[in-house]
Amino acid sequence: MASLGGGGSSATEYVVRVPKNTAKKYSIMAFNAGDKVNCSTWTQARMERDMSNRRMYAEEEATEGAAGSEFGKKQREEARRKKYGIITREFKAEDQPWILKVNGKAGKRFKGQKKGGVTENASYYIFTQCPDGAFEAFPVHGWYNFTPQAKHRTLTAEEAEEEWGRRNKVVNHFSIMVQRRFREPERGDDEEEEGEKGGKKKKKGGRGGDLRIHDLEDDLEMSSDDSDSSMGEDGEGKSKKKVSDAKGKGKKKKGSKRNAAEDSDDGDFEGVEVDYMSDDTSSEEDEPEKVKPSKTEDVPKGVDEMSDSEEESEEEKQNEEETKEEEEEEEGKKTPVHMEKKKKKGEKDSSGESDTSDDSDIEGEAASALFMAKKRTPPKRGGGRGSTGSSRTGSRPGTPSIDSGSTSNTLRAAANKLEQSKRQMPPVSSETPAAKRLKMEPSPQSPQPSGKSTPQPASGKSTPSSSDVQLTEEAVRRYLIRKPMTTKDLLKKFQTKRTGLSSDQTVNVLAQILKRLNPERKNINDKMHFYLTE
Amino acid sequence: MSDKGDVDLTGAKQNTGVWLVKVPKYLSQQWAKSSGRGEVGKLRISKQQGKAEVSFTLNEELTTIDGIGEKAALVRAPREHPFTMQTVGGQTLAVFTESSSGETWQLGTPVGYKIALEGVVVQRAECRPAVSDNYMRLKRLQIEESSKPVRYSQQLEKPVTTNYKPVANHANNLEYDKKKKEEGKRARADKQQVLDMLFSAFEKHQYYNIKDLVDITKQPVIYLKEILRDIGTYNVKGTHKNTWELRPEYRHYQGEEKSE
Repeated sequence: MASLGGGGSSATEYVVRVPKNTAKKYSIMAFNAGDKVNCSTWTQARMERDMSNRRMYAEEEATEGAAGSEFGKKQREEARRKKYGIITREFKAEDQPWILKVNGKAGKRFKGQKKGGVTENASYYIFTQCPDGAFEAFPVHGWYNFTPQAKHRTLTAEEAEEEWGRRNKVVNHFSIMVQRRFREPERGDDEEEEGEKGGKKKKKGGRGGDLRIHDLEDDLEMSSDDSDSSMGEDGEGKSKKKVSDAKGKGKKKKGSKRNAAEDSDDGDFEGVEVDYMSDDTSSEEDEPEKVKPSKTEDVPKGVDEMSDSEEESEEEKQNEEETKEEEEEEEGKKTPVHMEKKKKKGEKDSSGESDTSDDSDIEGEAASALFMAKKRTPPKRGGGRGSTGSSRTGSRPGTPSIDSGSTSNTLRAAANKLEQSKRQMPPVSSETPAAKRLKMEPSPQSPQPSGKSTPQPASGKSTPSSSDVQLTEEAVRRYLIRKPMTTKDLLKKFQTKRTGLSSDQTVNVLAQILKRLNPERKNINDKMHFYLTE
Repeated sequence: MSDKGDVDLTGAKQNTGVWLVKVPKYLSQQWAKSSGRGEVGKLRISKQQGKAEVSFTLNEELTTIDGIGEKAALVRAPREHPFTMQTVGGQTLAVFTESSSGETWQLGTPVGYKIALEGVVVQRAECRPAVSDNYMRLKRLQIEESSKPVRYSQQLEKPVTTNYKPVANHANNLEYDKKKKEEGKRARADKQQVLDMLFSAFEKHQYYNIKDLVDITKQPVIYLKEILRDIGTYNVKGTHKNTWELRPEYRHYQGEEKSE
């Protein structure tokens, strides 16, 4: 090594050697900078060729024996290939990719694919400095690009295509892989669908099905599946409710965030009927869940029917009645709303009012949703309720107040909207749903809303603020003034859940009140209606 | 197996830094011609105003280029090659070597096959020749070489007379006729013998072409067909060749046996 000190700049000269006949063949291992690979941190590494492509090139002799083989088949195949000029590429071990495993089984895996065309026009040399100061240049024989191999599961092509189709609707991306995982072990069963649903619902309470915001077909499909399969199975029904519960909740939550442009979700939760009849508190918990599926099912219908709400209150009452009856019958195992719906449909036929039953569905939904919201956000309720309640009163005319994360607000918003849409309708009808809804909402929370409820009756046209349901003469009078009602309707108004009285008590108290009020009677549709004029 | 797969990580641990240099083809060819210890030239690294300048000077004896034709002697490879230094960024480049000590093969893999990580690339460089007339001439030569088509037409002065001469009877034909005469016409052997032959043939393969069977059994076609009609079926099979196979009652192929 000679050093020259010429021209003020320091320069050093090194001899360059190109060693001959080295047994070693040099190759480049290229990693992407983004992978942040640091070779010095490797404790142990194994690398071997990936021979998995060998069978592609090998001529497979499936039947070498007597069965199925022809005499001279090989020769004929060869002759045929030559005739058509088919040239099969050989399997060269040199060109196969490398599999590099770093740090044992738990470490990373890389696949190194040979990069073509590296040595065609220019040669690469590796210059290393030797201890004696000279440089040695080794030619590079191959360039391999190493990419890390994913250890997590990935979707297959078909699954990926499916998901792509749903990309606008799916919000919770984690559930995609979860479902897939559960789909796999279930695939062995005959009832794959059942298994899927069971898997989704039983095992993963929270995330059955992708969360859909507004996918009518999926909802309807889900609902039909639900009703089909759950009819006989209580346990499943319960878990399903739970799931669809969570699903719906999630949906609602997202709905509130995403729904600036969408009208549909707002009206969804109106008119949802809620169970008041069961005595245990535990069943209460089931109820919102039970009601939930109905809500989800009803969503599409509700959307469509929201505008036609003329005879809503009547239907409401019918609905409530049904619900009550059902509740008496069942112990909260089956989805009462399912039943309710079915009954509703029956009623539909009998009464011949198709629109309104849908409205009542909406009502049912709203109620269930509200109920759900109540159940779901107990911690929030304390603070949130009061404030939102008041804000709601204030903002009632126009904007639905949307609270982030509190589903109740969407429902309030929904209620608001419904209010507004119905303002042209007979005031009575609009009052009752609103009042009912409002009643449902904060009834557990008696102190705060009760204060608000008192101005309500006075205000007449319902301010949609929370009000309590009390079976008072005042309340009955209010109802009867607004509109003629049957005893059934009245009963519906004062559902035991809300008033805290048992059904017998309600009946008694109502009878007393009616005696006191002595309303006038009228026969409408062959039913005895009471009304007051003042 | 563990010996073979393991990668020797000493180079990586030491973090030996190497340079990856892209070298023009002609230069690498010249390097291949080096003799002795393999010294090909000198590398000069100088620092000027903070920038490192690297330049490679080819040894004198290696500048002669041969093998291009008449112009070879005139052209010489340039001697000065400044290096253009580049950063590695965007890729982490490591250098590994495969070495097989000795030629002994065992179980299809060379014994003593070792993979070792030599180091990590810290600098990339490109070796460029210093532009000179010499270089230009060299390049021109190369271009002329490469632009020549691989196939070319050449006019012949005399017609080719060595290959095909008219012959009364070709050698091939003569041989063929002789062979035929030796063989003679195929005689009908005993039916039983023929059957034996057929069965043993069908033991080996399931489907046979009639021509192949004739070859095997050396029987006249008609006779053979008669026998085949007894024991076998003619099979279209979907492939365009029609083949004969034994009747199901005469065969069971699982154990590769036949039953009569």
